[in-house]
Amino acid sequence: MSSLEVKDLHVTINGSHILQGVNFFVPENKVTALLGRNGVGKSTTLKAIMGLNPGTGSIKFGGTEIVEMQTHKIVQMGLGYVPEDREIFASLTVKENLALAVRDQKPNYDLVYSLFPELLTRASQRAGTLSGGQQQMVAISRALLNQNKILVIDEPTKGLAPKLVTEVANALAHVADQSTMLIVEQNLALVKAIAQNIIVMDQGKVVFEGGPENLQDESFVKSMLGVSGGHK
Amino acid sequence: MSTFLLILITGTGLGALYFLVASGLSLIYGLMGVLNFAHGAFLTIGAFTGLWISTKVFPNPTTWTFIVSMLAGGIAAGLFALLMEQLVINRLYNRHIDQALVTVGVSLVAVAVMGGWFGNDARFLPTPAWFMNAVTIGDAIIPVDRFIYIGVAAILLTAMLCILNFTRIGLIIRAGVENRSMVSALGINVRLAFSTVFFIGGFAAGVGGVLISVFSYGVSPLMGGSWLIYGFIVVVVGGMGSITGSAIAAMLIGITNQFANYYLTGLGDFVVVLILATVLLTKPSGLLGKVNH
Amino acid sequence: MLRWKYSRPLLIAMTVIFAILPFAGENPLSKAGLQQTMAVAFLYGALALTYDLLFGFTGLLSFGHALYFASGVYVTAILINDFNWNFILAILGAIAFTAFLALLTGGAALRTAGITFAMVTLAFGQAGHVFISRDFGGFTNGDDGLPVNSDRLPDFFIGVVNTKYLYLLALGILVFIYFAAWWITESSAGRVFAALRDNEQRVSVLGLNPNRFKLLSFVLSAAMAALIGAAMLIVSGSGTPRYAGADVTIALLLMVILGGPVTRWGAVLGGILYSVLSTRLNVLSQSSAFDSLPGFISGPLSEPAFTLGLIFILIVMFAPGGISGAYYRARFKYLNKGK
Repeated sequence: MSSLEVKDLHVTINGSHILQGVNFFVPENKVTALLGRNGVGKSTTLKAIMGLNPGTGSIKFGGTEIVEMQTHKIVQMGLGYVPEDREIFASLTVKENLALAVRDQKPNYDLVYSLFPELLTRASQRAGTLSGGQQQMVAISRALLNQNKILVIDEPTKGLAPKLVTEVANALAHVADQSTMLIVEQNLALVKAIAQNIIVMDQGKVVFEGGPENLQDESFVKSMLGVSGGHK
Repeated sequence: MSTFLLILITGTGLGALYFLVASGLSLIYGLMGVLNFAHGAFLTIGAFTGLWISTKVFPNPTTWTFIVSMLAGGIAAGLFALLMEQLVINRLYNRHIDQALVTVGVSLVAVAVMGGWFGNDARFLPTPAWFMNAVTIGDAIIPVDRFIYIGVAAILLTAMLCILNFTRIGLIIRAGVENRSMVSALGINVRLAFSTVFFIGGFAAGVGGVLISVFSYGVSPLMGGSWLIYGFIVVVVGGMGSITGSAIAAMLIGITNQFANYYLTGLGDFVVVLILATVLLTKPSGLLGKVNH
Repeated sequence: MLRWKYSRPLLIAMTVIFAILPFAGENPLSKAGLQQTMAVAFLYGALALTYDLLFGFTGLLSFGHALYFASGVYVTAILINDFNWNFILAILGAIAFTAFLALLTGGAALRTAGITFAMVTLAFGQAGHVFISRDFGGFTNGDDGLPVNSDRLPDFFIGVVNTKYLYLLALGILVFIYFAAWWITESSAGRVFAALRDNEQRVSVLGLNPNRFKLLSFVLSAAMAALIGAAMLIVSGSGTPRYAGADVTIALLLMVILGGPVTRWGAVLGGILYSVLSTRLNVLSQSSAFDSLPGFISGPLSEPAFTLGLIFILIVMFAPGGISGAYYRARFKYLNKGK
């Protein structure tokens, strides 16, 4: 069971009441995109799910309550996390960055190297000297090495050149078939390509939950997300 | 020339001792953000354990019994460090100022207990006879003990680097020094890394304590204080969280201190403070520092 | 209202009582011994308050505060002994010198922040300690201590029989420092200090330069520490390198934590309690009170640091606001009883 159910989630950071009662459902084996303008609380929501922000309310993963659980225990339940800004370890090599993330007996290096062959050629390179795109590959690979039940991904294409966006998008699409995914993404083209379910947030709350076909409607996109159309 | 060589090697020997104290401090602060004021107590506990081995357990000191003394001192200090981490530091998770404060308290209590049990007068730690020999290099006559400090420190440095670079727990520690929460976000329980780092730090300090007893001709509950301050200075100059940085800084400070003391009569401490201030005002993260606390 | 409405009148009454007692016939405070102990305790209470201003209030963790205290002690003594200054001028001179010293050292240290700042102040404090105990330039007489030339002090401060005037001096300094601290923290500058502790970004967003205010807080508390140092010189009769040492700095930390940071009266109470406790524990340790206990218990118990350290650990772990924190928590509960 790899569905995620969030009920009445409140998160306060440094006195700011950022999440004001968030409710949504992430169905199994589907890709759910979490959308919204900058600052509405999308990353905060993902961090709360991962236990990196303290929250009150209920977050149930596969039926188990995880809102008060410690981060490492949550991850051990099978949640693979790709943070905003990648957060790879600069002083470790690529190989070490990947090795650190391994939890399973038989990590899926085949998948990782087939999606991102550069990681094999640059195995001994210090991760701090990688380009932004390469670092993103490391960050995503970390979540793919283990048989995770759900992938929680925060803005994977942020700040990447268009060619890399395509590469990352293809990798995600490839993986999307066989997993449950909750992804925060501003790139609507990517969202349209892989999402089967979308959730829109505004001012710390969920304002829409439904199918991706809504993204074809310009007025919907403008009012909900404040942008027009999508990128390539 | 011979004086120069003597001072250089004594400075390196002193640096070796500083490294033994500083390495643990550096790792503990680097990984956990804890400013460990009890580190001087670790040193002293190691020294007293070594004293006990070298007087009560094996009254006739030989090279082997001295090695046992060092190991026992290291283990005793390491276990105490571990105990402190589990009982006290753990409970104050993420309250960094409180953690630092509590180590001040532990230090006071530990030193008071040792003072209460053993009195504050210095006791002599018996060593194998050959420690008092001297070696002739060119026309310099150099006491052998310097080389012992350098040798032991080199062994421990190598061991630490091996652990850090070739073991999984070492990998976790290195990553944790950079970004502790991301390590948790990979499903790793960092608490084990914390305990490991405290034990290793305590062990090195304990071994250092035994050697410092030889260098300073005595073991006393009050010995930890000034070495702790120098330890902090070395850690800050070398960069928090970097073992290699500590090693380099320790040598730099040990050698400079000895030269300044000799050629500038007694200004060794001043010069060290000057180095500290200079580093802090130009590169606050230290020579090889990588920590972002 | 968290503050009890009679707390201020109570404090004033207590101060008056304390001032009168040495002159009021037979009572514990008519003995020179206790007067001397309390005089030292009052001064440490005041010193703890200056440290609270820096650490508790502005959030600057300094490990070198003892330097400015010692500077007050030694510069006053040197100006009186070697330069024959009038003792009031010497005290003012010491304050001015220390303020300047703080301007320089604080200015340098404040180019860093947090733990690095703490380390820089530690380094400067250490340098001061070394300077005093190694007697560079022959000013300080090193480890032997530097007695002040009592001929140059007013007669009513000399001699055991006049200890009560030293007591009054100390109490007077404490009251003065308390008012000074109260005035500073309630002033608009004081509000900036508090803001610096909580959220430095907000201060710069308001167009104020955080570093200027930090430096101001630093220099003010150093100057006040110097005044207290001068008073300590008179009360104790001589300077010793211990005043610049790590012991005093650690003690100040303990005092503020014991009494509770930020509340002002907490630091004073912490300082007085700590000072009295450690003097009493020292006396106790030399007595035979613990002789009947087995060696491994009586040994540590007779070291004051053992009890003080233990109290400190317990407070940090279980009662982080110290005495004043516990008081306000209890008062809060009492006020909200039944709501």
